[in-house]
Amino acid sequence: MDALVSRYSRPAFQNEGYSKEDQQQALQDVAPPLSLNFALPPVASAASWLRAMTDDHSNPNVPIKIAHGTTTLAFRFKGGIIVATDSRATAGNWIASQTVKKVIEINPMLLGTMAGGAADCQYWLAYLGMQCRLHELRQKRRISVAAASKILANLVYSYKGMGLSMGTMCAGVTPTEGPALYYIDSDGTRLAGNLFCVGSGQTFAYGVLDAEYKYELEDEEALELGRRSILAATHRDAYSGGYINLYHVKESGWVKHGFTDTNPVFWETKLKKGEFSNVTANLD
Amino acid sequence: MPGFDFSNHNRNIALHARGVPLPKATSTGTTIVGALYNGGVVIAADTRATSGPIVADKNCEKLHYISPQIWCAGAGTAADTEFTTALISSNLELHALSTGRKPRVVTVMTMLKQHLFRYQGHIGAYLVVAGCDPTGSHLFTVHAHGSTDKLPYVTMGSGSLAAMSVFETQWKRDMTRDEAVKLCADAIQAGIFNDLGSGSNVDVCVITPEKTELMRNYITPNQREKKMRDYKFARGTTAVLNEKIITKEEISKYVVVEDVTGEQAVGEKMEVDQ
Amino acid sequence: MASISSFAMPSEAPTYSFAAAQSASGQPRQHGFYPYTDNGGSTLGISGDSFTILAGDTRSTSGYNINTRYAPKLFKLGGSGPNHEGSKIVLSVVGFAADGNALQERLDTIVKMYKYQHGKDISVHACAQRLSHILYNKRFFPYYVHAILGGIDEEGKGALYSYDPVGSYEREQCRAAGAAASLIMPFLDNQVNLKNQYDPNSGPGLEKVQRVPKPLDRTTVEEIVRDAFTSAVERHIEVGDGLQMMIITKDGIEEVYTPLKQD
Repeated sequence: MDALVSRYSRPAFQNEGYSKEDQQQALQDVAPPLSLNFALPPVASAASWLRAMTDDHSNPNVPIKIAHGTTTLAFRFKGGIIVATDSRATAGNWIASQTVKKVIEINPMLLGTMAGGAADCQYWLAYLGMQCRLHELRQKRRISVAAASKILANLVYSYKGMGLSMGTMCAGVTPTEGPALYYIDSDGTRLAGNLFCVGSGQTFAYGVLDAEYKYELEDEEALELGRRSILAATHRDAYSGGYINLYHVKESGWVKHGFTDTNPVFWETKLKKGEFSNVTANLD
Repeated sequence: MPGFDFSNHNRNIALHARGVPLPKATSTGTTIVGALYNGGVVIAADTRATSGPIVADKNCEKLHYISPQIWCAGAGTAADTEFTTALISSNLELHALSTGRKPRVVTVMTMLKQHLFRYQGHIGAYLVVAGCDPTGSHLFTVHAHGSTDKLPYVTMGSGSLAAMSVFETQWKRDMTRDEAVKLCADAIQAGIFNDLGSGSNVDVCVITPEKTELMRNYITPNQREKKMRDYKFARGTTAVLNEKIITKEEISKYVVVEDVTGEQAVGEKMEVDQ
Repeated sequence: MASISSFAMPSEAPTYSFAAAQSASGQPRQHGFYPYTDNGGSTLGISGDSFTILAGDTRSTSGYNINTRYAPKLFKLGGSGPNHEGSKIVLSVVGFAADGNALQERLDTIVKMYKYQHGKDISVHACAQRLSHILYNKRFFPYYVHAILGGIDEEGKGALYSYDPVGSYEREQCRAAGAAASLIMPFLDNQVNLKNQYDPNSGPGLEKVQRVPKPLDRTTVEEIVRDAFTSAVERHIEVGDGLQMMIITKDGIEEVYTPLKQD
């Protein structure tokens, strides 16, 4: 009888507090683990549950609204690569922020852009930066843009269908490749190209960019074209706006060309250059 | 055609099925109460109107006039309580005129329940009807689907449980006027402070066979404190694209003045008795 | 969401989208697992030159009910003892209170473990990044919270970081979160960042210059915070009861509690 009792009775607080060892370990680790194990909801289909909770597109009344990014562009030209973005983050119809940095400086040679889930882009591009640095340390030379973009493409491909949402461009200059530009999205697509616009305002940016683009642009012309394309997108796309973030990637690395408020730029473009004639301030 | 226009009903159902949210009606998420006492009847209400979690009106009136000695407290969809009570008030006046007697509270209650039942709950009016007539003092509740109750003390609205808890602990038979007013005001305050749908002030209406006393903002326990800063902007702070001044003379060109002469001007005279 | 793949985007689908909603039409899908409750309330943070102020109301709600009139949404991180003595970082969380508490406990142990293992206080910068990673670690089972983290940076300046539920974060001058964010944030944009305010003395047309925001002093910020909350209480039913404010300076954290309307 005693044997039976001892077999079925447990210490009073055995299951109190953190029961799993790895959970305790996670609390004691000061740096987050490099192995990427994410918490999952206790349901059969984690992905569809997540969609029901966070996809504000199919259901505007979801409980959790995740901040999303918007218009970004990058193009290759004679003088290197221009990267330009807006700075608005929206959560449903709410403008969550007007000051988002959508160009992520992976290292002094490499830039990434963010469209889609803001957290996804921020986290995985920071992770990419870490992998690039590790590559440098291990191989004793800087990673190629092709390799960097492939690290990211493979990574998001491994999470395919789980609900990641990102559309990013990697731009950089290396001695072997010269200026190189890649497009990667959360479906696993990876494309090399001369010119990309990504985000809900992409069509508006393409409209301006395709009309004026040629490879032989001078640096100043190229910067202005990037700026003007983002301005067009912020003007017509409600989910884009805020500030214009401009970068020029050259052989010596990237150079930042300001974080400019769109509003004065718009009125200057309209009143000094006579563009945007659809907007009128006349009262007659 | 008098009455309701249903021409958009099917369209709206189709839109809703495709995920379009229906427009939000202002509801009086409300606490309303009523209690009979020795010489008459008291009804009371809070004054908050909400639209979802937003306060649409901080000091609305939820006590509605039906006839001089019959009043109604309304909860539910603000527009429905407003128009239903106005409609019944109007019909009751005609009824009183044609019968030549003072209107009765049961008549109001019956007209309301028949009207609301016909619309199967689509008219979201939840009402407390109270008044004095030649048969005595009466108190009823009418629900949106048409059911009614006759009780010595009643509560309705989202704060009804909070208010009823006060009635159930403190109500007693044969109260005086002042006791009844105090009890009703306390019940409303329980709703104001414990129900998020209710808030701001207490309105009370005391009806006796002799007279009706409406005490608008009887208690104001939620006055806004003074703001700490001054938010006046200097003239010229707002950017202006263009300016144009429109004078009274310019407006007058849109106004057409027509002289009406002869019989047309008088209009047809209404037929009345004597 | 930006248009980056096969799925459609909000820009193509303004509020009333039919084409895309069709997939979700028909019977509502039943999801048996719903682990979230919105406990209402609001928080806000403003950073100044040498201080950061975080504030939150203390009401906790569910539906039309008040769970409690005093449930703090502001938490000191690190420090010693039950009162977090010597703490210099404050976390505010609004949304689902249980997730908020779990998050606070996790970050608090991490801040304490950092001190224990490195013998120095964690910087706000590092703490901010760590919080982002904690949130992102639950990317597929998110914490239902909007977090704001405040402290003093390594240069002695006020630091304020705001987060979305899955860890996207940004350093800002001011931020409002929670139920009344849509009421408070436009006010802050106008009063702190001087949005839509132009210099009255500047010329017409393109010569009209925007007013330049500069760091505010402590009393001004405290007044703005108070006015923001007393106004939010007037118009939002889930905000009220009490205002908890924490002022973080190089000397530590000052805590102030003032009552708000209870209706």
